[in-house]
Amino acid sequence: MAEKEFGDYIINVKNICKTFPNGVTALSNFSTNIRRAEVVVVIGPSGSGKSTFLRCLNGLEEIDSGEIIFDGIPLDDNKNNRLHIRREMGMVFQSFNLFPHMTVLQNVMLAQRLVKKNTAAEAKAASINLLDKVGIGDKVNSYPGQLSGGQQQRVAIARALALKPKVMLFDEATSALDPEMIGEVLEVMKTLAREGMTMICVTHELGFAKEVSDWVIFMDEGRIVEGGTADDFFSNPQEKRTQLFLSQIL
Amino acid sequence: MTKSLPQGRQLPLGVTERRLAKFPVGHIAIYLIVMLAIAYIIVRGASEQGYHWQWYRVPRYLFIYKDGVFSLGLLLQGLEITLYITLVSMVLTYVIGLATALLRLSDSIIGRASAKVYLEIARNTPLIVQLFFIYFVIAPILGIDRLFAAILSLSLFEGAYASEIYRSGIVSIHKGQWEACHSLGLTRFDSYRKVILPQAIRRVLPPLTSQTISLIKDSSLVSVIAVYEMTMQANAIVAETFLSFEVYFTIAAIYLLLTISISQFVALLERKFKVYN
Repeated sequence: MAEKEFGDYIINVKNICKTFPNGVTALSNFSTNIRRAEVVVVIGPSGSGKSTFLRCLNGLEEIDSGEIIFDGIPLDDNKNNRLHIRREMGMVFQSFNLFPHMTVLQNVMLAQRLVKKNTAAEAKAASINLLDKVGIGDKVNSYPGQLSGGQQQRVAIARALALKPKVMLFDEATSALDPEMIGEVLEVMKTLAREGMTMICVTHELGFAKEVSDWVIFMDEGRIVEGGTADDFFSNPQEKRTQLFLSQIL
Repeated sequence: MTKSLPQGRQLPLGVTERRLAKFPVGHIAIYLIVMLAIAYIIVRGASEQGYHWQWYRVPRYLFIYKDGVFSLGLLLQGLEITLYITLVSMVLTYVIGLATALLRLSDSIIGRASAKVYLEIARNTPLIVQLFFIYFVIAPILGIDRLFAAILSLSLFEGAYASEIYRSGIVSIHKGQWEACHSLGLTRFDSYRKVILPQAIRRVLPPLTSQTISLIKDSSLVSVIAVYEMTMQANAIVAETFLSFEVYFTIAAIYLLLTISISQFVALLERKFKVYN
């Protein structure tokens, strides 16, 4: 891991704040920078703002103040910027969110056809490639409802990869899965990490964090309590809050 | 499994029903008894009033056979107009309904407000008043004939209901579907077209069918502006011949035939498209 080369910063997050209409503050003055090819794992207790942070990055949630710059482009009110950024970031959700009325293949082809305007043949070939990569090559004509949770999540990863994103966001991608299916999804995520994909993962899988992450962020109450390399973070946490959290879940 | 039961033992209820479903003698018998009972009540009711049935006079209003050629009688000529009005209004209803629903869910304040105003007016005033208003006030301005005035009124009236049906279907789609669309960078138009509406419309097929059936029946109201559709023809025949029961029962049966075919057709569609979950 130590020899891994990182590029320049691809995401700059400066002082973002987000309070929900019900008065809950999810992010307060949150700042961080992410480098190309970096795998960042975000952990923290529920309600600490991890998912909100991820959802703000591609504009699923509006930030109240602060700024987010992705690859030199600000995420602001400009619709085109927003679409552009979303197309360069893939997102994987806890509940998969596959399109149930489409086959697996159609799910993966959709954005290639509509966003990239690829021909059906190109999109199909690329999609089958991706589905093979995540190990679903034999189920391309199934509907999501016919697949197990683990298979659905792998399709969702293939769908997110279809636009060749520069960054992948994983929002508790394994939290809704039966225990025996978590491994197959984590395996796909590890492969992506090894291939040099820039990844931000909100997860409770500390084993995954230890194995592949380059940087671990621990969040609580909408702030970063502590960040560090996986080795430092897990073996030698500095903050009391971090120590408490780790002692509770390890 | 249920053959050769010991003597004197009754079949469990569920088994009986299953056997009947396979070989529905019992159901047919029950159906015939109910129908006969209804027919008896009608005949009795009419004879109590001293009504003199003259069914033999009805066929000429359905078909005319003259000099070796069949032609349509007055009622079926009316049916042609009814079908025409219904079909055109149906298409317009679906279009107006969808457009209104999308406007109500749009970001534009003006779009939302105008959709809401239209909806409340169309839904909260009687169709007959709208018919008169459009025929006497709007039609002369637009220079449209009574047939199109009728189609316009029906479409605007039913479109309001249809829009609420569409809207409920659209908002019932899990927000994760929208988020997946957003995260893939799909435009709003593409998200609706490829992801949200295909799912929503499947969900609203049953209430939309009810609305279509209402439309068919409501089309009889356009007789008030003297469009010679089936009900108008029936009124005219009754006025001339006093065959009220015969003629109205006949058109009721034709309406029933129409509406039942539609609901059967939609049931077929639903089965065909039910591929997931």
